[in-house]
Amino acid sequence: MQGPDVTWYLVVSALLFSIGTLGVLLRRSPLIVLLSLEIMLNSANLALISFSRLHGDHDGQIFALAVMAVAASEVVVGLGLIVAVARRKLILDVDRFRVLRG
Amino acid sequence: MIETPKVDWLALSPTLALLAAAGVALLVSVIGPAWFRRAFAAFVVFAGFITAGVLAGFLFDRTPDAQPLLNESMARDRWAALAAIVLAGAGALSVLVSWGETRRDHAGEYYALLAAAGAGMVFFVGASNLMTLFLGLEWFSLALYILCALDTHRETSLEAGLKYLIVGSFGSGILLFGSALVYGATGELGFAEIAAAGVTDDSLLLAGLAMIVAGLGFKASAAPFHMWTPDVYQGAPTSVTAFMSAATKVAALVLTLRVLTVAFPEQEHLWTVAVAVIAIVSLAVGNIAALVQRDVKRLLAYSSVSHAGFMLIAVAANSELGGRALLYYLIPYSAMSIGSFAVVAARERELGAPVTLDNLGGFLWERPFLGASMWVFLLGLMGMPLTGGLVGKFYVFSAAYESGWWWLVVAGVIGTAISLYYYLRVLLAMWTRPEPTAFRPAVAGGSPPRDPLLASAVFASLAVTVGSFIFVQPLIDLARDAAASLPF
Repeated sequence: MQGPDVTWYLVVSALLFSIGTLGVLLRRSPLIVLLSLEIMLNSANLALISFSRLHGDHDGQIFALAVMAVAASEVVVGLGLIVAVARRKLILDVDRFRVLRG
Repeated sequence: MIETPKVDWLALSPTLALLAAAGVALLVSVIGPAWFRRAFAAFVVFAGFITAGVLAGFLFDRTPDAQPLLNESMARDRWAALAAIVLAGAGALSVLVSWGETRRDHAGEYYALLAAAGAGMVFFVGASNLMTLFLGLEWFSLALYILCALDTHRETSLEAGLKYLIVGSFGSGILLFGSALVYGATGELGFAEIAAAGVTDDSLLLAGLAMIVAGLGFKASAAPFHMWTPDVYQGAPTSVTAFMSAATKVAALVLTLRVLTVAFPEQEHLWTVAVAVIAIVSLAVGNIAALVQRDVKRLLAYSSVSHAGFMLIAVAANSELGGRALLYYLIPYSAMSIGSFAVVAARERELGAPVTLDNLGGFLWERPFLGASMWVFLLGLMGMPLTGGLVGKFYVFSAAYESGWWWLVVAGVIGTAISLYYYLRVLLAMWTRPEPTAFRPAVAGGSPPRDPLLASAVFASLAVTVGSFIFVQPLIDLARDAAASLPF
């Protein structure tokens, strides 16, 4: 069966990357920001896998697998930090993190 | 019998030594008796950094010619080995600086994470493949995110950790997408293979190159990717700031020059200009923003942004002399940076409050050794004679001039002139005794406890700062041997 052309996968991947970037820049809840970071990493995964198909080698797929492991560890650290912040009863809003500024 | 790939264990040994130290320290800080954890972890990690430094020195000696490792995903060369020596030295000094820090819990884990970050950096500087580049970057970054937020009882530490996590991951996301685009354009992940693929004017490749430069700029805290730097440097525990300011910069800049020269020699006319512009923006933003700071850690953070600018001038030169200048400059810079943050840490422990220009009054007279050392570090960061800072700046400028970047030299000189103002403010603040107020109660508990380990770290930094001026030639020769392993 013939799927869509590789270009379409890249279009989706670029779209996902833009959504992720905008999410990091615009959203205020650190949880959503963390989710957006994951979307950015996964958009790169999609691009890597489609390029890997295009070139007919496996390097991109192996890279994508490694990125998944990294993304998971990043979420662990990020969620841990958010829990630590929530435990201190600080408001979860990235615009309010402004003790350090200037 | 299963055929296994040949592994060059010697080439990986500095990373493995640090990784082993991190593992042992982590294990003992979980299962060891409580009184034993901190001392044991600190000792093991210090020994790990020293071992890694010695092994890297051995590696430097045994590697006259660059060799690929592990299916060409890593490089064994003098460039990585010399960077690993600097990183190991920075790590060992940071352990000494950290010892006096009293932490309610996670004292053992702190040292384990420090070793893990060091291992990641030593791995990262040897990367010669986009995958190992990304993995190494995330390896040391994840350890640093936790280190920044480790003082969970301080709101500023948590804020610094979360900010670093968000901005750092954003940067690595951009770097990763750029790597995917470069892979798409060339079909290769290895640096040398990317260059050999011979793709010159592909829009995917150029977009990927731009994103990789931006992603590495985040780590090197070069403007306009520096916005996390002052907040994180101020909020993180000061010993972590000391380690980050020296080691992260070494790792990021050393690898930036490697990836640009090895993988993108065809696009040289584009990236040299991009790096030159980033260098100028860093010099301007770092130096001008530092003028108005009162918090000393924040001031030093902006000074580190401006120093990223100086070092990027050496990268933009894209010549053997530039590589030599970069590696030489990183040696005194690391020492001055760790030394100055160590003095700030000592003052902070003494006061129990953040160090600002106001409460630094009379520090030179109260603590003559630490105060005088701080003077030397700041004079070195200015680029004054008798410190390696002068020679470093001189080499960077001559590399830029040789490559025809005379306007970068002008920008660098203007940046240095502006920087005199804020460094002198700190020097003056330490010199001036505070006005005696009418009522000064005696300090409860007497004078602060001595911290011989911190003092020895400051002394070692002082020795490197001044020694790199006196023994310029041997260090330059080492840097020349290292730079010879990159293709210029």
